Amino acid sequence: MTVAAQVDGRGEPRRGGGYDRPKGRLANFEVFSWFFMRISGLVLILLALYHLIWWNLVIGVEHLDSQVVIERWSNPFWRLFNVLLVTFALLHGLNGARYSIEDYIRRRGLQIAVKTIVYSVVLVTLVIGVYALLTFDPASFFAIR
Amino acid sequence: MEVRNRGLVTALRYRGREGMWAWLLHRATGLGVLFFLIIHVIETAAVVYSPEFYDEALQIYKNPFFRFAELLIFFSVLFHAVNGSRIVIQDFWPYLMERQRQLTWAAGIVVLLVMVPVTWIMVAPVFGLAEEPGLERHLERCVERTQAPACLEVVE
Repeated sequence: MTVAAQVDGRGEPRRGGGYDRPKGRLANFEVFSWFFMRISGLVLILLALYHLIWWNLVIGVEHLDSQVVIERWSNPFWRLFNVLLVTFALLHGLNGARYSIEDYIRRRGLQIAVKTIVYSVVLVTLVIGVYALLTFDPASFFAIR
Repeated sequence: MEVRNRGLVTALRYRGREGMWAWLLHRATGLGVLFFLIIHVIETAAVVYSPEFYDEALQIYKNPFFRFAELLIFFSVLFHAVNGSRIVIQDFWPYLMERQRQLTWAAGIVVLLVMVPVTWIMVAPVFGLAEEPGLERHLERCVERTQAPACLEVVE
């Protein structure tokens, strides 16, 4: 195994490749983004896999209808669950899309244009989803029906 | 900014082995799930404003062909979750990078093992080889809620 030389702005080389975190430096946006992907990813493993197992394997897509969803959302716990799921999933996905855009679209103007479109679509989707969950009122729902 | 161009063929000829393919599949499944999520979140939010529209839209999901798309989504999320766990483990215990090739195989095997029963449960009913998952629970619900849209189909 070759031993990497000490490079300015990096910490000590570490076993397995890469470097330790440099000492005494404040985390920048990319470090925060890296950390967010790990934390949201771990949370999503629980939330998203539970969601998939519940709706695909326990309930079954064939048995879905608006009533099932409304009954589920009558419980504030499941609305909160869905707020967390949609928020973490879309922000994790948005940041992942940012990585891809920055990797493949190298022309500055085009990159800004594509980012603007993708950020807008994802953030509007997030607002629509969270707004629907937070304003959902089961009482009025069952009163109409 | 330097602009580097590599053709697709050149990119695929690069022999990055397990790590490269896991990285590529991680990216592809992530982007695929994000695309589905945009549709899925908007369509599910519609249930609050127009349950009728939601029930109409659900007919697309109940199409037998779409079951394979649902399976692909399940696979994508599962692979992304297991491979993502591998990345997190390697990041926080960097000496495990020395075993990244074996860990990639382990992740792939876990995904395949889980996909075997999941594929059966989701796809077998399309060919009439098994009951739809959750049928028993559904029939119980329909005894109480005879007017629920999904229950009207059962009565027919």
